[in-house]
Amino acid sequence: MADDKKIAAYMCKGCGLGERLDVDELKVIAEREGRVDMVREHDFLCSEAGVQLIQNDIDSEDVTNVAICACSRRSKTEAFNFENVAVARGNLREGVIWARPDTDEARELTQEMAADYVRMACFESKFSNAPKSSGEQSRIDNVLVVGGGMTGMTAAIEIARAGYKATIVEKTGTLGGHLAEVWKDIPDRSPYADPVDTGVAAMIAAIESDARVTVHLNSTVTRTSGAPGRFAADISTESGSTTTENFGAIVQASGYKDYDAHQLPELGYGKTPDVVTQAELEKLAREADGGPIHRPSDGKEITSVAFVQCAGQRSDKKGHLPYCSGVCCMASIKQAMYFKDNNSDIDTTVIYTDLRTPGAPGEDFYRSGQKKGVVFTKGTVHEVVVGSGAHSVKFKDLILDEDAEMAVDLVVLATGQVPNSGPDMEQISEDKEAAKEAGEEYVEVPVESILNLDYRQGPDIPQLANGFTDSHFICFPYETRRTGIYTAGPVRRPMDSAQAKEDGTGAAMKAIHALEDAAQGRAAHPRSGDLSFPQFRKEGCTQCKRCTVECPFGAINEDEDRYPQFNEARCRRCGTCMGACPVRVISFENYSVETVGQQIKNVEMPDEFDEKPRILVLACENDAYPALDMAARNGNHYSEFSRVIPVRCLGSINTIWITDALNSGYDGIILMGCRKDDDYQCHFVRGSYLANARMSKIDDTLSQLNLEPERVATCEVAITDVERAPKLINDMVETVAKVGMNPFKF
Amino acid sequence: MSDIVASNETIVVVGGGISGMTSALEAAECGKQVILIEKNPSLGGRVAQLYRYFPKMCHPTCGMEINLRRARYNRNLRILTMAEVTEVTGKSGDYSLRVLLKPRFVNENCTACGECEKVVEAEFGDEFNYGMSRRKGAYLPYNMAYPQRYVIDERIIGTEDAGKAKDACRYDAIDLDMQAEEIELKAGAIIWATGWQPYDASRIQPYGYDRYQNVITNVEFERMADPQGPTGGRLVRPSDGEEARKVAFIQCAGSRDRNHLRHCSRICCMSSLKQARYVREAFPEDGMVDIYYIDIRAIDRFEDFYKKIQEDEKVSFIKSKVASIIKDKEDNPVLQGVDTEGGNRYETSYDMVILATGMQPSINREAFPIDIVINQDGFIEPDEKNGAIFASGSAADALDVNRSVQHATAAALRAIQVVNKTAGAGV
Amino acid sequence: MMSINTVMVEKYRNNFLREVEANVEEGEWVKMCMQCGVCAGSCPLGDAWEHPPQEIFMMIRAGKREDVLTSDSMWMCTSCYNCIVRCPRELPITHIMHGLAHYARRLGIQPKNNPTQWFCDVFWNNMMKKGRVNELKLGLSLYFKNGFLSGIKESLKNAGLGLNMVKARRMSPMDFFGGHGVKDISGLQKMIKKAQELEADRIDRHGG
Repeated sequence: MADDKKIAAYMCKGCGLGERLDVDELKVIAEREGRVDMVREHDFLCSEAGVQLIQNDIDSEDVTNVAICACSRRSKTEAFNFENVAVARGNLREGVIWARPDTDEARELTQEMAADYVRMACFESKFSNAPKSSGEQSRIDNVLVVGGGMTGMTAAIEIARAGYKATIVEKTGTLGGHLAEVWKDIPDRSPYADPVDTGVAAMIAAIESDARVTVHLNSTVTRTSGAPGRFAADISTESGSTTTENFGAIVQASGYKDYDAHQLPELGYGKTPDVVTQAELEKLAREADGGPIHRPSDGKEITSVAFVQCAGQRSDKKGHLPYCSGVCCMASIKQAMYFKDNNSDIDTTVIYTDLRTPGAPGEDFYRSGQKKGVVFTKGTVHEVVVGSGAHSVKFKDLILDEDAEMAVDLVVLATGQVPNSGPDMEQISEDKEAAKEAGEEYVEVPVESILNLDYRQGPDIPQLANGFTDSHFICFPYETRRTGIYTAGPVRRPMDSAQAKEDGTGAAMKAIHALEDAAQGRAAHPRSGDLSFPQFRKEGCTQCKRCTVECPFGAINEDEDRYPQFNEARCRRCGTCMGACPVRVISFENYSVETVGQQIKNVEMPDEFDEKPRILVLACENDAYPALDMAARNGNHYSEFSRVIPVRCLGSINTIWITDALNSGYDGIILMGCRKDDDYQCHFVRGSYLANARMSKIDDTLSQLNLEPERVATCEVAITDVERAPKLINDMVETVAKVGMNPFKF
Repeated sequence: MSDIVASNETIVVVGGGISGMTSALEAAECGKQVILIEKNPSLGGRVAQLYRYFPKMCHPTCGMEINLRRARYNRNLRILTMAEVTEVTGKSGDYSLRVLLKPRFVNENCTACGECEKVVEAEFGDEFNYGMSRRKGAYLPYNMAYPQRYVIDERIIGTEDAGKAKDACRYDAIDLDMQAEEIELKAGAIIWATGWQPYDASRIQPYGYDRYQNVITNVEFERMADPQGPTGGRLVRPSDGEEARKVAFIQCAGSRDRNHLRHCSRICCMSSLKQARYVREAFPEDGMVDIYYIDIRAIDRFEDFYKKIQEDEKVSFIKSKVASIIKDKEDNPVLQGVDTEGGNRYETSYDMVILATGMQPSINREAFPIDIVINQDGFIEPDEKNGAIFASGSAADALDVNRSVQHATAAALRAIQVVNKTAGAGV
Repeated sequence: MMSINTVMVEKYRNNFLREVEANVEEGEWVKMCMQCGVCAGSCPLGDAWEHPPQEIFMMIRAGKREDVLTSDSMWMCTSCYNCIVRCPRELPITHIMHGLAHYARRLGIQPKNNPTQWFCDVFWNNMMKKGRVNELKLGLSLYFKNGFLSGIKESLKNAGLGLNMVKARRMSPMDFFGGHGVKDISGLQKMIKKAQELEADRIDRHGG
């Protein structure tokens, strides 16, 4: 700890704190036990005058570390948002007086609780430093866009329009992707009635004339290294030449592949050229260019066509896609219009189970299709029998509840989109494990990587399900597990071109956001703006690599000497590395093994026979901690024996805190984090999962100490658990009453 | 309010729901000056009123906590609540807005200590719970309300209650003389994120929402499922407070219907699947759900969710638009109609019926403050004529949360492009 | 000469939907149905229909010409308009049902001995006599439909209703002796004849 720190504690007397607590005593505690340099009180600390009091001390008294003993860190945040000082918040309002009943009997222990929170705040502040960016970063205003389809082209154009540069790397020889193969597009503007021009040519022209956009055709990204603000990508051409360029951020718009319809022999694919996929029909339509569409087998003008929806989709059969591609209903309507607009006498039937044409555009387009005479039949097709003249589509008519048959010239299979997302490292390692367990040799199926990241955690963005790249999905759809790399378009979820354009624009926004963040050393989502970053004491490091393995964001590489290399711009500041480190050499300026450890240590530990247990609660700051705040606000009281410390993520919990707490006499410990399964809610993706894995080993420690395992509980707590969270604490008090006090109190 | 500094490089975001917050935060975190204007006393919009999200069954307030944290720490973002845009003039890169600020009667001194609420006696229907519960005349709109400041209901001004509230406040936070005021703002670009409102179910005459107590809407059911909601999370019949174990969902209640909303509201299928799970989780033994639908629109990954629900033998799907609802002697709603798959007529009684009402865009075409292109369904069209007024989220189409956020992120960039151009950085 | 039915079969081959669009009043709406079934559920006589409207629309699309046209379902429609009011696609279902019934009759393949059809004939003939409906005679002919004895029984059963109508001046017993007519009955008849000619001509053109 540097000596030039000056620590000040501030006691607020507002919101009933002055009445419920003996603030004078708390001041003494802050001074004597908290060992701060200065203590002040105020009747209304968050008022302009109160805030000014603190600011004056910072400005003229050279206060560097502040402990504000008032309300929760979630309240009055704007008022206490001081720059260039370390701020700790002692939660006396939500955490103490609101969490306890206002009765004379409760008064003494409530005061004890408050005294501990004052001690904790003083020590947290003392061991924190105001975070400053490291200077590792730079500002590169060029964004790498991988993929030159609709999504990638849109992203590049939009990035350029905002004044930044974009570089498209496209594997094929032309821009436009799938959409360039399409005759016409689904309309993306009201009245959503007719197929429209794809706009691809205009976009290519816009890109070619834009000096801010560079295009590499017939090229792939063969290596990506670095971090946001300093990515370096090797761009290699087919002929083998490679250039390396630097980028501030990356948009991955690698799109989709068409589902291989050869897996659908029952639907006649491969048996006759007259059974085609939607993509193949586009080719026929382009050849016809508004004229009559001819049948591939014999060139006959097509007079009847059936569209088979969900071909090889929404199905659990092997080789089928379990999901719905979401665009095929609209695409079939559009393609049926190709026929109808040319000649309304052509029979077009769409056989579907659920017609999925959502939103205003979807419903309008469906109606327009019907108006043009496209027939919609709710049914499931089980077979297409290839005939010499017409082909027979056999299906179950679900409305008329009977087996039916339809003779048509052409059958179009609405097959789905398969994401082009590179190898799924997690699946591969699972498969390897499984093969090993079964005693079989693992045969790797080579999948081309998209980004070739030189990250220790694998060459591509992790996937969640069905090959689509993982994202937080609901609230923060763009957040991947690789900072500064945003996936957009059908690699993220199946989608049509209108959605791809929106998605490409959104990803462009995120990429710009990321490079601006990186330039200033600010964290990306969810701790946006946080300037702290992981620092590590190399001397102590044993090169165990746990931090590199456990980092949910692939931020940590190894340097030449096999030490962790943190790449702070990739770091999301969750602290999982800090939690993982067995030798505790990783820390953040304002969040470290010390800032929390000191809080744990400085809680006053009553004697074993005082009947005053101590329950340590380590609560996820985003969910469990707010739940406890709200519980207190609503008058859901919880035990006066609890001491709650917010943590950035359960993943940041270092087991030393648990061991130390047990050794110093805490009677019970509760870890409150987020849900961790496939539907994880942890905003650091795997933090909660990792904490659970680590805590499963804490039983050894407990048995070494001869302590009961039920003293330590890891719970999933959601932000809505306003009633349950206090109950968990109270339950632990009861558990302690049953198993007895921890004998290690000193 | 004269301290609001705005220029033609400012981005104004209208609407503080998930879309508006997303647009505002993305732009502000990129260094732009952003003013977020919200009509209600607090941010959060419809999302704050949801208990859980499909398909992860997680809690919207969790993401909101993150967004609020982002908002609290961001110095580029200015939030105006109880504010409405009344007029917009100008053009891309140079707009003037008139904004009406309604009085909250509570100033920034408020610590949300809640003393005023304790002394006020008057009660009103709680908007947050769609009127299913009562709140005081001095209130915090909901647990996570931000700004975390109380509101004095205009209806108690001039009553004894108002004086009591003022006397109870120790921080000089209650100002009963606060007046509505109109301010003028400059902006380079405007993001319109006014979202949606539930379609008025009482207009669907055959379903008797206005006549039968045990016919409720999906948004009301959502509040009911919330442990912090009007029933403490208990799924009960409004008529007698008995548990609703046999429940029907009527899809497209007001959507895909020329008599009501022409468009498909997109979210209602998934929302009912999610709410079916509420019922099954509350009553694992004997909870029973029937979903009456035209097409189940569980697109892409949502299909997994749909499949899981289909596997539950206590949940049935009936392809039928329910024709009408009558009521039996026990106040049970009885659904009448024909199952179109096979043509079977049904007349089935339930403990409670939930109408999956649609999303009506909160845009008043006639009273929009400036002339822009609004389509026949009431959504903003992405049209060049709109200049630098960009729709965000369900002001543009019926969107679910993740599509809204996606759309809102794109909207932020469109606004940034304009102000960057104004600042001379763009093309 | 081929029957008009055979002509139509020949002309439209398997495309019954197109046949309906061209020949049935409001038939072009059939394709707009999205199979929600609200019409089927809303019909007060729903139980009496073998195929409710939405199913008929699906049958038309599926080319079930014979089943549809010989069905007595659309003859069950009492024009209550519940279906039209509720149809989310605004299909004029009532009109389509009547159109289908009418078309079936034109083709001569309607179900025989259908009471609705019988009543329509009686109604028409009754009205064409004087240009106005003679309600007394219409009622009586309905009662006496199945012979004299049952006619007496039916009449006695409804005597009270008849008396009330007379009291309320909704019906006059004098109608039994002729009743009121329109001023220019021959003009009306001429007009109807012309309309019938036009209709026949239209059918010839489409059907021929």
